[in-house]
Amino acid sequence: MIESIILWILAILLSPFYAAVILKVKAFFGGRKGPPLLIHYYTLMKLFKKASVYSTSTTFIFKMGPLVSLCAALMALLFLPIAGRPPVLSFNGDVIFILYLLGLGRFFTIAAAMDTASPFEGMGAAREAFFPIICEVGMFMILLLFFQLAGALSLSAYFTGGHTAALWHMAGAPMLFVVISFFIILLAENSRVPVDDPATHLELTMIHEVMVLDHGGPDFALIEMGSFIKLFFYATFVERLICPVVSANPAVNFCLFAVILLIIYKVIGLVESVMARYRMDIVPRLLLISFSLAFFAFVITLEFVK
Amino acid sequence: MDFIFLSILLMVAGTALCLVIHRQFTLMKTTGVLAISAGCLIGLFNSLIQLFHPGTEAFAAAYLHGFSLSFAIDGLSAFFLVIIYFVSFLAALYSFHYLSTPEKALRTGLSYLFFSLLIASMVLVVVAANMITFMLFWEIMSLSSFFLVVYDYEKPENRKAGYLYFVFSHIGAMMLFAAFGLIYGFSGSFGFDGAASLPDWVKIVVFVLAFAGFGSKAGVFPFHVWLPHAHPAAPSHISAVMSGVMIKIGIYGILRVYAVLNDHHPLFGEILVIAGMISGILGVVYALGQQDIKRMLAYSSIENIGIILIGMGIGMMGVSAGNPVMAVLGFAGGLFHVLNHAVFKSLLFMGAGLVIKKTGVHDMDAMGGLMKKMRITGITFLAGSLAISGLPPLNGFVGEFFIYMGGFKGAGMDKLPLILSLMAIISLAVIGGLALACFTRVLGVVFQGEPRSERAAKADEKGPMMLIPMAALAVSCGIIGVFPEVFSLMTIRGVSALNLGYGDIPFSPFLQMTGNISRSAAVFLLLVICVLAVRYFLYQGKSIPRAATWGCGFTRPTVKMQYTGSSYARSIIDFFRPVAYLCENHPPVQGVFPAGTQYSSHVIDIAERYMEVGIVRPVLFFFDKLRWIQQGDIHPYIGYILLAIVLLLFFV
Repeated sequence: MIESIILWILAILLSPFYAAVILKVKAFFGGRKGPPLLIHYYTLMKLFKKASVYSTSTTFIFKMGPLVSLCAALMALLFLPIAGRPPVLSFNGDVIFILYLLGLGRFFTIAAAMDTASPFEGMGAAREAFFPIICEVGMFMILLLFFQLAGALSLSAYFTGGHTAALWHMAGAPMLFVVISFFIILLAENSRVPVDDPATHLELTMIHEVMVLDHGGPDFALIEMGSFIKLFFYATFVERLICPVVSANPAVNFCLFAVILLIIYKVIGLVESVMARYRMDIVPRLLLISFSLAFFAFVITLEFVK
Repeated sequence: MDFIFLSILLMVAGTALCLVIHRQFTLMKTTGVLAISAGCLIGLFNSLIQLFHPGTEAFAAAYLHGFSLSFAIDGLSAFFLVIIYFVSFLAALYSFHYLSTPEKALRTGLSYLFFSLLIASMVLVVVAANMITFMLFWEIMSLSSFFLVVYDYEKPENRKAGYLYFVFSHIGAMMLFAAFGLIYGFSGSFGFDGAASLPDWVKIVVFVLAFAGFGSKAGVFPFHVWLPHAHPAAPSHISAVMSGVMIKIGIYGILRVYAVLNDHHPLFGEILVIAGMISGILGVVYALGQQDIKRMLAYSSIENIGIILIGMGIGMMGVSAGNPVMAVLGFAGGLFHVLNHAVFKSLLFMGAGLVIKKTGVHDMDAMGGLMKKMRITGITFLAGSLAISGLPPLNGFVGEFFIYMGGFKGAGMDKLPLILSLMAIISLAVIGGLALACFTRVLGVVFQGEPRSERAAKADEKGPMMLIPMAALAVSCGIIGVFPEVFSLMTIRGVSALNLGYGDIPFSPFLQMTGNISRSAAVFLLLVICVLAVRYFLYQGKSIPRAATWGCGFTRPTVKMQYTGSSYARSIIDFFRPVAYLCENHPPVQGVFPAGTQYSSHVIDIAERYMEVGIVRPVLFFFDKLRWIQQGDIHPYIGYILLAIVLLLFFV
């Protein structure tokens, strides 16, 4: 329990560092040196020191947006087995709880954006309301597959200790599909290229960034923190999927986890460097591909399990 | 049982008195509200006792010499009684300030009488123990709610809505007469008990007929067409009761028929799951396309009925597959959602009613910015929106969680149950996401941003008797969501009465699940408080200026530039284009100096569209051909009646 809480805190502290890796990779492909790896810590400190300017159109919901989305991400992380160790909280059905909790965070992010009366933020909000629906369908398809294999509905039953290795052992080929499918969900849910471009300069083409245009100071720091943690959550998910081995030595185990995670963030950076953002009407197709892969994986597994 | 009759007597007598004293407007309203709320409280108290002390209580009396009216309360009845009384009580309180036109005093008095008749008939339908009693009060329920729908009969669209409702409820009742007639024909008694001994194929026919009949009351797609018309027409406290409670009587009917047939044919569950998925997804897609706030809520009721049907369907599939865990989870989830939907949908209808009353418009795109002036309405509406989107830690999540757990149990089987469970889970996920989109849209367009019209800018929220019920319902959403133990015990009592043959359903697995939900909700709230403290600390001693919203460089924004509800929903509606066609009206801009143009759009409900082409027109054509029967003279009609009776005497 103590170990799990320490890992949880460590994950929160490390998440801004990992997010900076993506920037570094993108800078490398652009032929630049890029910001320091600790850039996000500096930014957060700077934001914490600032005050905020609130729009006259906004209400208390605007202030609740950052708060609830951060808490939802923190809460989701509590259920996640980090480095294959048991999570702080776990129960049968916790995956559904987490997905709906992240939905709660999304609800408040959208509501905070709608609160500003800005047409740009409304546009972002409409997209944020639409795309995750298809992602969620893909997620539930993956859950159905995991339920077939593991017979339980909790992250700890999938990712603690040797459980992930057992999943691969039961259905190796479909698991490959799951990795790709889930990686697409990761890109979409965390507003990365090719679904959304966090670094673009035109508000019309953004999804997540445009929704937080009016936030500033500590509120914006909470939003940033929330998105780092959410990305960490999804990346750890992928890490457990592609590296199911767990060593008996906790130190080795943690190092392995840290390295694989680094590679995943680099891959995200690589995708961002070599791809352009899709046109908004193409995004649903990409997400449906993710669903189809998960669906095929499920169908194939039906044979394997028998 | 005595207390139930006492509550009904109190309500009907008190509101009948309203007609006598209608010249004293306030006194009349006070009498009406006091009578209904006192009656409801007595009934609520009694039905809670009945629910937690299992056992059946019965009462019978002769009616018109030929029939006997008999009543009985079991767990299922008591569960629905609690919901009927609770929501009706709050709706009655709400009506005190809501009905505020002294010019319509007599009409208001009449509406109280019909309101109490509606409550009384719903109560008596739920406790009815034979088919005659059931149908008698079912008809009174349909008629009294019809008169409530046409409360504002001056408006032609309200009369049309009332007519549509009248037609649908009678076609529904016809199906029920057919179903009950079959039971009577084979068992020879009006009691429900005989239904268990019917041949298998008759049971299937009875179930399908009853499903269509009850489905038309519950608003199951494609029998839902009346619902989006009738709900906006009725006064809001009536919409709250109709949507929160009355359509659930249809669900009660399906469950009751399932229980008395005592047959676990797999087809029953399959029909329900498929109907549930279609209603759920299409309901919420159409809700996204609506401009009228109450019409939107009506479509959202169709969606929630879909979720309830999915739960019940999973339950029935579990029974027929011999999987008790799945069965109990499905039924408990469905019943839990019945309770939840009654709570948050009546809350949302009350909020919508208040908003419409204060702004004078039904169109969401003409509202906006109401959160600042109507704070309590806004906060309670926010709570209702969160709950209806099924988000933890509010109540909507708990019911859906049970249904999911049941569905995943079904995914462990094979063949058809597997496919249907899989589709049910996927549809629940889609419905959840769409409901979130739908309610962020309503909240954002109606309550947030800047006012989009003069009236919206001047709105206020006076009328404490409207705010108290809304606050009570919003608090209930939170309490049920964080402490679901007692409420899931209530649903289990309801499930026990379904005749599933499982004996005493163990409560400990539910206790474990609800405990987990409670604990996680507590941890989440703790986290929120911690982050809130951190946030407070970070803003300590800083000056917080206010300025206009950042317009991305544009310095002359107007409120018309805000994202409208239609544009918000556009891309999602487009995704569902084959079933939700967006009809647009937009004369193109022409010339060097173009004249003003306009844009309007609405989403076409395929059931409504094809019902007209496929059913209404052929039926009209057919009856047009039979017009020669109608002579307009009294003699042939007497002849027809005699002929019919003689023929019946010969052949029956």
